[in-house]
Amino acid sequence: MNKVKIYSTPYCPYCVTLKNFLKQHNIEFEDIDVSENESALQEMVEKSKQMGVPVIDINGEIIVGFDKERISKLLNIN
Amino acid sequence: MIYDLIIIGGGPGGITSGIYAGRQGLKTLLITKDFGGQIAKKGINIENWPGNKSISGQQLIKNFVDHLKEQKEVEIKFSSVVKVEKDNKNFIVLTSDNKKFKSLSVIIAIGTELKHLNILGEEKFKGRGVSYCSICDGPLFKNKNVAVIGGGNSGFETSLFLSKYAKKIYILEYFSNVNADKKNQELVKKNKKIKIITNAKVKEIKGNNFVEELVYDDLKDKKTKRLKIEGVFIQIGCEPKTSIVESLVDLNEKKEIEVNHFNLQTKTPGLFAIGDVNSGKYKQIVIAAGEGAKATLFACQYLKENKLS
Repeated sequence: MNKVKIYSTPYCPYCVTLKNFLKQHNIEFEDIDVSENESALQEMVEKSKQMGVPVIDINGEIIVGFDKERISKLLNIN
Repeated sequence: MIYDLIIIGGGPGGITSGIYAGRQGLKTLLITKDFGGQIAKKGINIENWPGNKSISGQQLIKNFVDHLKEQKEVEIKFSSVVKVEKDNKNFIVLTSDNKKFKSLSVIIAIGTELKHLNILGEEKFKGRGVSYCSICDGPLFKNKNVAVIGGGNSGFETSLFLSKYAKKIYILEYFSNVNADKKNQELVKKNKKIKIITNAKVKEIKGNNFVEELVYDDLKDKKTKRLKIEGVFIQIGCEPKTSIVESLVDLNEKKEIEVNHFNLQTKTPGLFAIGDVNSGKYKQIVIAAGEGAKATLFACQYLKENKLS
């Protein structure tokens, strides 16, 4: 079972695209709104060494932005 | 497989073209990186789309996309187009994943992309304080000081959005006057968090791991000044990325595609350009949508007259 965590903000279009993409492929994920959660924001910055959203954590592997190819590869989406 | 029409771009212009193409029964492929273009990234509501007194960019795009998806004749592919060529009577569209698509006509609706400042530190701190998408990254700057570069409507709207989160917002404008429209100027004036600095030539973005400081020349008193800020939002306008069709069209000095404004056709028959990417003076959602409709109907006429379809 994949452990997938998304760090996002409410209006970010790439965050919406990313979440819709995962839903389409029936991938369960935890969604964290970092605009409302200071400690999660710190965690995101530490993990990704940057402060842009979305950030996705797939079993500990960190991807910044909606990088469809890398995300598909890690989650075995064809 | 040869399509009747390939539409490149998924903003208001491209989507409207898709809806019209579907209704005309054209075998159509719409290729885009994502839906919404610039309006999906707007921080404030849209108030000049007829039928909606006030609507968010995201909601308006969702309405557009839902409508587009009703068109069964229109295939959608998410990709970036790298080149458009013409081989005898067919257009060949190449995408970044090395695929080739053929069609009898093409509508270019790729809009424009945000301009970069090209100053020291901009590239280094991209994603580490430097942002081009305020509605994505703005909420991360709660109680922080930030700078917005550009005193046009985009700069003012970005600042108004950021004022929901940031402690202090400095708008830096190169010229002695700002260019934002009256309504935005009034809203900014009322907002105590926002300060406008004119005659400011931005020179460098500095910091260690993240942005800490912005250096600019005050062109009036000829002094170099510094602002302690943690975020820089760059809103200095847009430019079209028209290199993908260079060989088939004429470009003006702004690199916009020259079209015949009667039918939106470029110098290559069957190749049309609509919305912000063409040489039309006013860049508006409703204009892009209107041109999308018009170009599709002229594309139909072109296919019929040339007995291509």
